[in-house]
Formats: sequence, C-alpha cells, structure tokens
Amino acid sequence: MGTRIELHLFGAADDSATVEARRAIEAVDDALTIHRPSPTTALNECLMAGRKVAIDDPVLFDALIEIEAAYVATQGLFDPAADARSGAAGWGAVSFDRSNARIEASQPVALDLGGFGKGFALDRACDALRSAGVLSALLSAGESSIAVIGEHPLGGGWPFAIPHPLRPEQVLVELELRDEALSISSTVGAGAHAPDRAAMIRPTDGAIVTGQRSTVAVDFSGARAEVMSTALLVADEDQASRFLDGQQTRCLLFDFVREATMTASPVGLVA
Amino acid sequence: MIDKDFDLTRRSFIDHVLKASAGVGMASAAPWAAFAAGAEPAQSDRVRLGVIGTGDRGRALIQNIAKTRNCTVAAICDNYGPHLAKGRALVAAATPAFTDHRAMLDAGGIDAVVIATPLHLHARHSFDVFDAGLHVWCEKAMARTIADCGAMVKRSQDSRKILQIGHQRMFHPTYLNALRRVKAGEIGSVTQIRASWHRNNSWRRPVPADATDRQINWRLYRDSSAGLMTELATHQLQVGNWFLDAAPTRVIGSGSICFWKDGREVYDHVALIYEYAGGRKFIYTSLLNNARYGCEEQIQGSTGTIEPELGRIYQEVPPKVLALQRMQKDVARGHKRTVPIGGATWFPELPVTTPGESLGWGEFDETMLQFEAFGEAVRRGTPVPGLLRQAYHASVASLMGEQAMDSGRPVDWPSSLVSV
Repeated sequence: MGTRIELHLFGAADDSATVEARRAIEAVDDALTIHRPSPTTALNECLMAGRKVAIDDPVLFDALIEIEAAYVATQGLFDPAADARSGAAGWGAVSFDRSNARIEASQPVALDLGGFGKGFALDRACDALRSAGVLSALLSAGESSIAVIGEHPLGGGWPFAIPHPLRPEQVLVELELRDEALSISSTVGAGAHAPDRAAMIRPTDGAIVTGQRSTVAVDFSGARAEVMSTALLVADEDQASRFLDGQQTRCLLFDFVREATMTASPVGLVA
Repeated sequence: MIDKDFDLTRRSFIDHVLKASAGVGMASAAPWAAFAAGAEPAQSDRVRLGVIGTGDRGRALIQNIAKTRNCTVAAICDNYGPHLAKGRALVAAATPAFTDHRAMLDAGGIDAVVIATPLHLHARHSFDVFDAGLHVWCEKAMARTIADCGAMVKRSQDSRKILQIGHQRMFHPTYLNALRRVKAGEIGSVTQIRASWHRNNSWRRPVPADATDRQINWRLYRDSSAGLMTELATHQLQVGNWFLDAAPTRVIGSGSICFWKDGREVYDHVALIYEYAGGRKFIYTSLLNNARYGCEEQIQGSTGTIEPELGRIYQEVPPKVLALQRMQKDVARGHKRTVPIGGATWFPELPVTTPGESLGWGEFDETMLQFEAFGEAVRRGTPVPGLLRQAYHASVASLMGEQAMDSGRPVDWPSSLVSV
C-alpha cells in the first residue's frame, strides 16, 4: 500500500492485540500490493494474458468479494480495473466465479487495489483488535483513512476536523466517529500533485475528472468508506445526486469550482 | 583603489577581526587575532622577506605582502625561469632574483623567508633558512611526512626562530565571528563537523616545453604531495581542530583514484572520519569530478549550524507536532479536542532549506593580515601565539588521514609529536 499505518490504543489491552493487528495489516499488504510480487500481481498477469485463474489467497479472495459488491453498489463508479493509461476495459470485463474461486476477463485488465486496500486493512486490523478485547482505538492509514474502535477514551465520539484542501489553515468540515471508518478523497490539495499519481478517471465513460473536488465518506466498514469516497469523487452531477440518495454511508461532496462562484461555504451534498 | 580607500577597507577589516576576537573565550581560542590586528605599522624599517617559489601561489603571496604595512619583498627565488620572470614583474626592479635559494640566503639583506615551493621541499628549505639564522613563513601543509613536520617545529624551537604556516582562515573575520558565536553557545554543543572540498576539474596543469610534468604537476605525485589531503584538506582539518578545540584521536578513511585515471599517483576521491574526544566527529570528503557541494565546513551543533564559507548561521527548526501524536498527549492529560486529519501523518526528513542569517563581514584580506602578524612576530622576536600548534596539528591530521586510506586501517593520533 506504500502507506504509513498508525495504531493508537487506549485503555487496557493485551500486548498481543497490537501484534495481531499488525499481522492483519501486513497480510493485506502482502496479498494486495502491486509494488512487489504478490497474489494480486500474479492475478493481473493472468488477466492481462486472457487466462482464467483460481484465487488461492484467502485475503485476496475476500477482497474480491467486497470489490464485486462495491462495483454493483456504486453503479460502476468504483472500479479498481479502470486505468486511463492502459485503456483497460474495467471490472465490467471481469467475471468472478465466487463459488469456485475463479476469475477471468473478456479483455485484458489489471487490478489496482491500493486505495481500497487501506480501508480493507483497517477493517481487518480493527477486527483483530476487537477480538483481543480492545475497546478504544484509533487507526490511520496514510493521510486520508481513519478508523476508530468504540468511543474516544475521554468519552463521546472521536472529533475530527478535515482541513480545506486549498486553504489548509481553514477547516472544511468537522465530524465525530463512533466505531466507524472515514475516508477522504480529493482531486486537489498537496497529495493530489504527487509525481506518480495517475489522473482520476470516471469508469463509466472513461472521462478524466478535471473538477476540483473533495469527498468524505463515513461507514462502519473502512473498505466501504474508501469505495464511497472514491466513487463520489468521479461521479458526474447526476450520478452524484443519484448515488447519494438512499446511501447508508455518510457521504460529503465538496465542489470547489462552484465554491469559487458562491459567497457561502463549499457545496456539501450530504447523504 | 587609491591608498585612502584601501586604508578605510583595511581599518574596517581590522575592526571586524578585533570585534570578533573580543568575544567570551576568544582570547584563548584565537590568541593570534588580537596580536595580528595590533601589529604596529612601519612605513620604514619593514621586515625584509625573501620569497622562495614564485609560481601561482608564491606570486599571490607577494601581492598580499605588498598590501602589508610592515613587510616588504626584498628578494625572490625560483629555479624555473618563467615563474621567476613573472615574480620579477611584481616586485621593484632592483629586487634581487635568484635561481638557487642558497644563493639568496648567502646574499643576505633579508630578515625572513617565505616558502611557497612544492610540499616535499618545505622541510629542506625551512632547515636551510633556519641554518642561515632567519625566520620562516611556509605555505601549508607543513611537510610531506609527519616526521618532517615535527623536525620543522623542533628546528624552529632550537634556533629560536619563528616558524609560521599559512592558514589564512584563522585570520578571516567570518571564521572568527563564527567561532565567537560557537563559544557564545549560539548553536549549542558542537558534536560534528561535515566538511568537503569538491571540484570538477582534473587538477592537472599543462606542462610547458621547458618543464617536466612532475615539476608542474607535483601535486599529483606521491613523492612530492599527498594530493587532496595536504593541498586542500589541511585547511579544513585546521578548522575542525580549531572549532572542536582538540586534535583528533583517530581517523579511518578510504581513498581511490576513481575518475581521473591519467597516471596520477594521488587519490582523486577521499572520504574520512576523524574521531575526537567525547564521540565527536569530523567527516570529510574531497573529490575532483563533482563541484555541486564545493568547499564548506558544516559546523553542526545541537541548536544550530554554521557554514562559514557561505557565511551563514542556521538555527535548528523545531520539529512539527503530528496531529495523532498530539491527540495521544491530549488524552494523557485528560484533554479532548478535535483531531485535524487529512494532513501529514509523518513528515519526510528532507534537508532543511531555511535561509539562516548572515555571519557578515565579507572582506577577504586575511592573507595580508597573517603576513602583518608574521612581520610583527619577526620584529618582536616572538612567535604569533597559537598559530604553529594549529598548523602542526592540521598537517599531522592530513598525513595520518593519508596513512589510514593507504593502509585501510584506523590510525591513532601520534603519541610522539613535538610539544608546541
């Protein structure tokens, strides 16, 4: 994942809790990374070559189940197989046989599970900590993915402030989490200009997303929060409105292009 | 520049030297500075200097001697005709010129001798000058071997004649001001100096038809030089010893002829670590095929850094507090507040690029001042305090660095040095 993950545990906790959480995170990284040989890179080689392949790795298998569900839930807006550089066909070309743990693609595709993997790893680490009896903890994966267990150690929800990506000295939004995960995605701000960061594309039509947007998603699942913040970031306005209707996830969309023409605070569409 | 302008510049320069050397602890750390700045002007009865070696460096020295108010060049000598001719052009027409330094010494009419010859000749020339009953000002490094360095000191002591070595940084107001600020605690405890002298040229000079390669490029051959160590590192080792107020206890190093494989015998890449008491270190590199980092000494303290060649002092930047670390501390003290996220969860440890502040005082007449100090010492018959010890230890350090690189083993500071 190429991301720094921090675990902050509060209250009585067995030392083994941290060890188990770390193992869970490393297991996800080992399975989903594409930056060194892994089950995912092996899978990608087969999919790019047009071969059907059996999924032997249980972590990758679980991830694929969630990805398939996310693709459906976001009406194709979340697509880890979409890649503007390669012109890959996307998840729509993938056929995942869950009952036989086999996968194939009708056209060459390759999966990049990096963003999803952060939330997925946080979920598994939280599971490990809860199993070890941890009642209060904060986990972060990089600068934009947070998960909390229980309440803040001093009581109540965990209060977070998300800075404005264009004016970091200003707060964009404040919110509280309880046993939830949060994901932030943005097309603007410092992280959006990393040298090796690929352009965001809208999987449904292949368009490069040029708007200045930030999205925030809060869900009981870190993986779903990643999926929702990513999908909302690339959605066009109609898709975003439809997408936000009826979601279980708390989602916020900030459109900074529209903000520039308004006297009020940025547009926040809340589901 | 007219004389009046020069006097003003000179006065300003001397004022800066005096101001820098007046700080707490400076009297013992740089006793030569006040001595030099207080040299009496002598429009007549100047100290008469004979100069052996009128190559590039020797001629630069002649020009600096001409700026002094108490010295004059009374004779010159070089065994290479074209150099001697260039030297003649810089001195009065009646100034005697010699091709043999013994003939110059025998001719008399001089009080002291300036030696600007290839390194391996320094000791022999110094001995001859002392034997003639004269004082010596010699270019750094002192000599080709540690034994010869010691012998030069011993001959000076036995003959009661002054031996002064050219280390102009000791007279540079920016260096003196840097030391004053170190002594005042402005950069905390100095535990490391990282120094470099990086150039991007072969260091090889064209050889005229009437000369030999070893005559012109003596710096490249082991008989006559230790290359980068004696010609460049010596200066910076002197700065290291001076600012760390000690001689090194041990050195490890690696040297190679890595880029200029042109028949030279001395290393074109050197990397060394000099250890000092208390775990302090002087880390040195010099090379001849990359000039990005140039010549500098980075004097690193617990609260700041000084780079005297750039003339800058930098304070350490307080570490940023990460949001999640702050949250941990808040909880520990029972304080709940909003955690800012979406920002850095860690900070890359990139070089700090704060501009720092100027150490000031950019006049560069330090070579002139060290000759005024020498002239004053000759007139008084007493050495400039502190100088020879600095120079001797710098030369020894450079040569033990060569030994460490040649042997591939650590070399301890010699236990049998002459007491200065």
